[in-house]
Parts: sequence; C-alpha cells; structure tokens
Amino acid sequence: MKSNHFSQSDAAAELARVLLGALALLIGSAAIGIAVNHFSPRGIPVFPVGQELAAVQASTVSIPLPPGLKPVELADAKKAFDDAAALFLDARPSDEYAEAHVPGAVNLPPSRFEERFPDLADRVEKAPVIIVYCSGAECSDSIEVAERLEETGNYTIQVLEAGWRAWAEAGYPTTTGAEP
Amino acid sequence: MSRVRAFATHPGTGAFCRLLIGAIFIYTATPKLLRPDEFARLVAGYRLLHPDLVNLVGITLPWIELVAGAFLVLGILPRSSVLVLAGLLAVFIIAGFFALVRGLDISCGCFFPFMADHKLGWDLLVRDAILLLISLQPIAWPSTFLLRKRL
Repeated sequence: MKSNHFSQSDAAAELARVLLGALALLIGSAAIGIAVNHFSPRGIPVFPVGQELAAVQASTVSIPLPPGLKPVELADAKKAFDDAAALFLDARPSDEYAEAHVPGAVNLPPSRFEERFPDLADRVEKAPVIIVYCSGAECSDSIEVAERLEETGNYTIQVLEAGWRAWAEAGYPTTTGAEP
Repeated sequence: MSRVRAFATHPGTGAFCRLLIGAIFIYTATPKLLRPDEFARLVAGYRLLHPDLVNLVGITLPWIELVAGAFLVLGILPRSSVLVLAGLLAVFIIAGFFALVRGLDISCGCFFPFMADHKLGWDLLVRDAILLLISLQPIAWPSTFLLRKRL
C-alpha cells in the first residue's frame, strides 16, 4: 500500500513538472518571439493601434486586391451579365459551384486551372471581359485565377470582390448543377 | 491486442513519433517566422481572434512551435514540449472546425507538407487529428530511445 501511495505522489510530481515545463516553454518562446520581432526589420507592432489596427481589421474581412488587378462592383457585374458582355469564371471548388452559381459561369478553381484551361481557352479568348469571383471578399481563389489568366494571355479581367455571396444575397439570377 | 499495445509502447515507436512531430513543427514554423506580417494576416483570416490579439499570436506562435519542436527533437523537456505541440494541434483543429463550419474560404496558414499555402479544408483537420494522435504517444509512454537522459 505504502509503495502505491509513493508512486501516486511521484506521478503527481511528474505531472506538475511536465505542466510547469510546458508553461515555461510557452512563456519563454513567446518572449523570444516578441524580442526578435522588436529588433527585426520585418517586425510588426505587437498591439497595433490606429491605422495599423484598421489594416488588421480590414484584412480579417477582405483580402486586398493585388495591384494590377481590376475590381468590379456588383452592380456593374450584373449589368455585364444582363448585356451578356462578360464571361463569368467561378473560382470556387466544384462542389460549391454545383450547388449554385451565376448562370453561364464556367467553373475554374485554381487547383484545376492547368487541367481545365485548355478547354476554356477559346471562350476566354473571345470574351470581351472576364469577371472572376469566389465566395466573397475573404477568399483568394478569384485573385489566384485572375493572376494565372494574366500570366497566360492579354485579357481584360475583372475581379468581383464581393463574390458569390453578394450576388446571391442581391437576389440576382442563379442556377444549379455541375459543369456538363 | 497485445501486439498493438506492444507496437504502440515500443521505444522505437516513441522515438519515431517524437522526431516526426518535432521535425514537422520546426519545418512549418520557419516560413511563419520569416514573414510575421503575412502569418498574422493568415491568423486574422480565421476571424476567431480580436484584431488586437492577431499580431501577438502571429509573432509568438511560430516561436513556440520552433522552440517546442527543437526541444522535442533534442530531448529537452520532451514531455512538456510534446504537450505544448499537442495543445497547438488541438487548437488548430478547433479553429479550423469553426472556420469551416462558418463557411470561410481561407488559407490554412499551415505550410505543410509543402511551403506553399493550402486552402483550409476538412482533410487538413483529419491530418491534424492524426498528428495529434501521434503526439499523444510520447506523452503516454515516454521513451528514452535515442536520448541519453531519462525523460
């Protein structure tokens, strides 16, 4: 009985040691991180204030469009849709596309760009304007596809930053079904 | 069953789990360390943290990963180190779960297996869960294999 008692207190001591070690490790490495960040030319403010904070807040809701890519407002995209003046590219994953998408939009997720682009080249070539979208402002797939297109050829590309969600919420036409 | 147990508790298995988890975290911490601004943006993408705290996590998390990973590989405070890393994996799973349930279309910020970033998806949560399971082995059965001193 006595030895059992001892082994239990040993286990408790070991557990305390492990937990204390973990805590020391967390605090120690966090301190190293803050110190290195302080002296690093790439350092960022630990607690952003004012404009810096606004930038962080903006980045939590939207991914900024890289320079060179043109945005398109939802209303303008709708006008282009009504006039059949643009080719819509849906950069979301195929299953989300199948659930619902802009009528006539072609599904082109960045992960399948290489595989799918050859079949689409003709349509992309002929389109006066290409409008790319993904779920919303917080996704980067539309940007990725737009950049890949820019590398591929000289097209007029616009990114619908508000994305699919804004289109659907506006009550604009949608359709369902996978790509034929 | 006893064979499963014999395998799970084998010192070689312990050393493998320890080195694997440690190496993965050292590897994935590196790009995050080099670009704290970008990593902070990826953290912000999960939209779980208050904007005030995003940079703090972006600055400290990669160092915690690196130090705990290095300690684990070197055998310094191995049980504490693997506990920290298992805790991080649990946090990643929970954060990823909430992000996916809310339909966020974001980068995972995980930099594994390649340095390129991936889209957050359920497959990544399964992967993290497998890593979490592996990281529990050295906690449950600390081994002295490939280490000079007792754990």
